[in-house]
Amino acid sequence: MFSYYLRLALASFRRNPGLTALMIFAIALGIAVCMVTLTSYRAAAHNPAGERGAVLFAPSVDSWDPENSYDKDNKSLAPDLLTYRDAKALYASDIPDRKLITYRTGDIYTRPDKGMDPHYIPTRMTSRDFFGMFDVPFLYGGPWDGKADEGPEPVIVLSKEENKKAFGGENSVGKTLNWKGREFRIVGVLDAWEPMPKFFDVSNGAFHEMEGAYVPFAWGPILELGSHGNTNCWKTETINNFQDFLNSECIWFAAWVELRTSEKQRAYKAYMDNYVLDQKKHGRFPRPLNNYLYDVDGWLKRNKVVEDDNKAMLTLAFAFLAVCLVNTVGLLLAKFLNAAPIAGVRRALGASRRDIFWQHLTESGVVALAGGVVGGILGVLGIWALRAWYGRFVDEAARVLPFDGKNFLIVIAIAVTAGLLAGLYPAWRIGRAAPASYLKVQ
Amino acid sequence: MEIRPILSALMRNRAGAILVALQIAITLAIVVNAVYVTQQRLVHIGRPSGMDDQNIFSFWVNTYEKDYDYLGMVNADMALLRQMPGVIDATPMSQMPLSGSGSSTQFYTQPDKKGEKSPANYYLTDDHAVQSLGVKLSAGKTFNASDVEYKPTQEQSWAPVAIISTGLAKALFKDEPALGKTFYDDIGNPIRVVGVIEHMQGSWVGWDKVDRVMLTPRLNPGGSTMYAIRTRPGEIDRVMADVEVALRKRDPNRVIATPIKKMSDMKLQSYAGDSLMAVTLSTVTGLVLVFSALGIFGLATFNVNTRTRQIGTRRAVGARKRDIVRYFMTENWLITSIGVLVGCCLALGAGFWLSTQYQLPRLDLYYLIGGVLGLWVVGQLAAWQPSRKAAKVSPAMATRTV
Repeated sequence: MFSYYLRLALASFRRNPGLTALMIFAIALGIAVCMVTLTSYRAAAHNPAGERGAVLFAPSVDSWDPENSYDKDNKSLAPDLLTYRDAKALYASDIPDRKLITYRTGDIYTRPDKGMDPHYIPTRMTSRDFFGMFDVPFLYGGPWDGKADEGPEPVIVLSKEENKKAFGGENSVGKTLNWKGREFRIVGVLDAWEPMPKFFDVSNGAFHEMEGAYVPFAWGPILELGSHGNTNCWKTETINNFQDFLNSECIWFAAWVELRTSEKQRAYKAYMDNYVLDQKKHGRFPRPLNNYLYDVDGWLKRNKVVEDDNKAMLTLAFAFLAVCLVNTVGLLLAKFLNAAPIAGVRRALGASRRDIFWQHLTESGVVALAGGVVGGILGVLGIWALRAWYGRFVDEAARVLPFDGKNFLIVIAIAVTAGLLAGLYPAWRIGRAAPASYLKVQ
Repeated sequence: MEIRPILSALMRNRAGAILVALQIAITLAIVVNAVYVTQQRLVHIGRPSGMDDQNIFSFWVNTYEKDYDYLGMVNADMALLRQMPGVIDATPMSQMPLSGSGSSTQFYTQPDKKGEKSPANYYLTDDHAVQSLGVKLSAGKTFNASDVEYKPTQEQSWAPVAIISTGLAKALFKDEPALGKTFYDDIGNPIRVVGVIEHMQGSWVGWDKVDRVMLTPRLNPGGSTMYAIRTRPGEIDRVMADVEVALRKRDPNRVIATPIKKMSDMKLQSYAGDSLMAVTLSTVTGLVLVFSALGIFGLATFNVNTRTRQIGTRRAVGARKRDIVRYFMTENWLITSIGVLVGCCLALGAGFWLSTQYQLPRLDLYYLIGGVLGLWVVGQLAAWQPSRKAAKVSPAMATRTV
């Protein structure tokens, strides 16, 4: 029966090609706008850590100014970064299964044999567990071992792109790069890795570029490497050298811990609270106790990675789709009523009301499917155009608007659902029309 | 007016009229809110930066060799840059305004964190900054060459003189003239105002205090600095290419970080979110208006086609063409009005919801009035052609069967 309805639908389209095209176009435009806004929304709402995101936690402790909250818009929040002392203390706990501290820096690297143009490489100072906790894929070699963190040993892991720039993409493990007047030995080269949003460092931009090199954290204080990202301070302190800066209340570090059981999560939270209470005795942490332990999802929400603009645009896109659908309902109604005599003949020949209803609903579904496909294609073109436009001056363009096949399927599903909803009333209406009146006029 | 017969004819084919009214209602809600938000974003984007932002470019220069003569490098580079053809002036900068990356700190009108206070976006630069950024001084003068200092250490201090923007001057000294006054950092270092910039934006365009800026005559420490170069109008692309080559040739043993960026591109990047919002909203607004007009047009055409006999009869018993046009125009006006009425509630509701949910400002009522008038006009325009067509129906139609 369904294939017969499909044939009837095609015959109906041939009767009114203009009107049919108009309906498909109406749905397609609504869907295209939805596709573009949905793409940017889903890119921001994505949790790149997947299921592991539930056991990875970012601690946040309120070390801020007693007179002003850290976030003026949401006074209950604690800072999104840590001081050096707090980061070290939170890292010192034995409770986590794995743990890391990190910040972003960078400088000019050279190759001892001068085989590379000296250039700036954004560098992430971190610890060994970074690679395991975040499932970082390696092309050559692997992470440095645990004792390289402590020494620290002059070891370095390069990104795939950076290895291409420095060594033409060959296996560079064992070779060296000069940085800050020291020779760093390459122990690993990453495969392509770009988790977006960049959840482990959202304070410097959720769609910010990835670092090109990874170096043991302990080199930071030794080489006096300042932050090449956000640094926020509130307290009046005399800062005459790098050590003063490390001991200050300025925040620029992040910590992540892996806590696989809820007992460990509770224990770690208690550890944080005890640490802060102890620090209060030493005159630090002037604000009331206000600590958080966020999993990846909670962390992305706390940092408002999905911006208000994303939500507002998505809402408007769906309101626009609603207008397109109301329009389609009107067009379908006009089209069906126009062809009422044909339905009358079918009724007279024995088709039930239900048959007529399903026949017309099938027709609506086919229109919607066509609208969805055309809309999806228009949407991809729209994303492509936006990326081309923004790519000229925004590095993040491609990361904010990724091509994602899933979005295409989602909008087609939306289109078909919406099309069937739009077809309900017109199909019911035509099924209800008495056949006799149409037969008489003929 | 013949409202009653129009109403009773409408009631006989409710579905179509309700659909169009509904469409108009949602359209009004979308258009009013979208235009309002777009307008605000455009005002935000259109604010003047105070600088010659279309003719400035900048880039990082990093040194990496031990015991490299950083100070000598900056002096030699500046001497070279300032005499290049097409260059108006050049200056070293710690960071760039409008770039999204900058530094700010708190200043006070009295030592010991007393008196008025204000945060300021500060830039370490030299005596060519005013000319190189293309800002206008409303009082005082630019730095002397002898004011410019270099301190390689980390200790917190400031050059004893500064040029500040009017925004910062107003925040610290209210309506008193700021020139010659002294203000302080949080540990009491004094800074004297030697110049006031008429208007200048700092690094973060989303910051409500973006117009509070301080220029301080000191070179960026740490062996790295930005160079900002202002060119004659229309010559920026050529000069950008020349500068890169010339600097590399003068001394290859440091890094000229590419890509060299235009300030105009930094500005576009800083406002990218706002312009994306403006583009999306105005596209949707345009489309939704077209769709509503199509809907009205479609319904009117449908009504005219199904009522040819009725029209013919009216013409046969004496109605003039004018009356027929007026009938259909009124019918459409009624449908539009119902849609608009419902739409007002929807628009206000949506505006309120947006303002609470997404911290957007509350809808301005003038936009609603504008939207209502606009949709009435669109409705009447869309109904015009079908109404004219109706008027052309000949009175003889009354006597035909189909």
